Amino acid sequence: MSTATTEHAVHADGIWKIFNEGQPNEVTALQDVNLTVESGEFISLIGPSGCGKSTLLRVIADLTDATRGDMRVAGHTPPEARQQQLYGMAFQQAALFDWRSVRRNVELPLELQGWDKAKRKARALELLDMVQLADFAEHRPWELSGGMQQRVAIARSLSVDPAILLMDEPFGALDEMTRERMQNELLRIRKETGKSIVFVTHSIPEAVYLSDRVVVMSPRPGRITHIIEVPLGSERDEDTREADTFFDAVTAVREALRGRVGGSDARAKVGEV
Amino acid sequence: MTDTAIADPQTSADGASVGAARSRSFARRARNGGISLLWALAGVGLVIVMWELVKLLGNFIPLPLNTSDMTMPHVWTMFAAMGEPEVRGSENTVLDAVIAATFRSLLLAFGGFLIGVAVGLLLAVIMQRFLFAERGLLPFVIASQTVPLIALAPLIVGIGNQIEIGPIKWTTTYSVMFIAAYLAFFPLSVGALRGLQAPTPTSQELMRSYAATPNQTVRKLRFPSSIPYIVPALKVSAAASVVGTVVAEISTGVRGGIGRLLIEYARQITSQPAKVYVAVFGAIALGLVVAALVTALDVYLTRNLPKEKSA
Repeated sequence: MSTATTEHAVHADGIWKIFNEGQPNEVTALQDVNLTVESGEFISLIGPSGCGKSTLLRVIADLTDATRGDMRVAGHTPPEARQQQLYGMAFQQAALFDWRSVRRNVELPLELQGWDKAKRKARALELLDMVQLADFAEHRPWELSGGMQQRVAIARSLSVDPAILLMDEPFGALDEMTRERMQNELLRIRKETGKSIVFVTHSIPEAVYLSDRVVVMSPRPGRITHIIEVPLGSERDEDTREADTFFDAVTAVREALRGRVGGSDARAKVGEV
Repeated sequence: MTDTAIADPQTSADGASVGAARSRSFARRARNGGISLLWALAGVGLVIVMWELVKLLGNFIPLPLNTSDMTMPHVWTMFAAMGEPEVRGSENTVLDAVIAATFRSLLLAFGGFLIGVAVGLLLAVIMQRFLFAERGLLPFVIASQTVPLIALAPLIVGIGNQIEIGPIKWTTTYSVMFIAAYLAFFPLSVGALRGLQAPTPTSQELMRSYAATPNQTVRKLRFPSSIPYIVPALKVSAAASVVGTVVAEISTGVRGGIGRLLIEYARQITSQPAKVYVAVFGAIALGLVVAALVTALDVYLTRNLPKEKSA
């Protein structure tokens, strides 16, 4: 099995995460999670609070370790993947550093990797151009709107040119209009860069609009209950949001979340795990 | 269509107004600075007027304080005292002596401040890095400030005077600096520790996701995050180093500084009552100069931070 995993962006094999194991307050955050994210694939993790979707992302990112199971990130263990900067990460809070200009925020990961000044400046400007904030390179983060700050955070996560993007509700704090614009932006960036993306969200339409597959999770214990393929193809735009296939997929995800699978009018392909 | 969606006119309008707001705020700050100076001068004028009013009132009605020229000399007598010779027949005026003493105390306070800041920062970094260091050191750091300075000063002088490392001989001047540093390190170590622990979990995880080393995390995240905590601590430390210097000069009896001068002039109050006030002005000037230096440092350190965040 492990020989084939190098092809995959993420390969989780029987991942368990148990907090306070053996104690009275034991919590099973992840129960036997098996998931393969293909290279270049966009995967959303969705589910109610406590379903372990953020924990799964954090295991991938080596921000916490799995209690049991084998995790491979671009063919490496999570600590190796982190040390080699094989993934970039974005959180709900943009977490930009106030004391640095927008450009120098994007440069931060490169600075830590020891890039020289001219090279990292060029790279940062290139990325700010990609997220259409080139004019704001020398501004301070706190002078920017929430959406603009989140675009800087995305540029920053792309700076070391990782194969994989891990995003933990990156648009969760944005208003609906900004959010939809950011989704289009992310789809464009994905197309331009070919990154594999694992995206944690609370929003069903967001998960459907962005993803190739939506991973539905359920709490107590946190586990994957369904993986739903979204048959929207690779070309998606504002019209997609009003397409029947879009609504069907939304319905399929909603029913999966409710625990009622394969409802009569759900035409999206539903695979039960 | 998705490409153009983001660069909407509203976004660019935001950007333009940001630049304009910056230059406006600079002009406003300059103007506010001028107004503050006027208010400060008005405050000094008010104190002078009140002083003389109280003296005048004391001539007519009995007040609970002695308003005679012996204890409350006229403001103009104080100014005149500045120009008098320091000792009979001396070339040096009282003002010369006070300025020299103030400058010397300033150097001692500054030295103590620098040592205190260095030690305070070092302790904070060690305590942040190692939990056992925080548990082990913090109680001592706090306990250090509960020892009365008056008890400590002779001890430091006594021990210090026995120190002799090669050509370097410990003098009482070092003891004064040590005492100033002893008072100055505390606010800084406690403030900096809080600041170093201030970064949000998200920022810390971000640094971890970049595979940043602990040293990199301190340099690039923790230290810059601690500036809003360090700046007010610096102000307290600076004030503590001035108080420490003056008190240490008095309790160790070291000559040449403003502390000793205050004591000497106070003894001459029967012959020259205005003289001690000149020394008091010197002590006030000392405090103001240090406050101005720290404020300049504040402006420099917080230049890149949002204004409401800088303390």
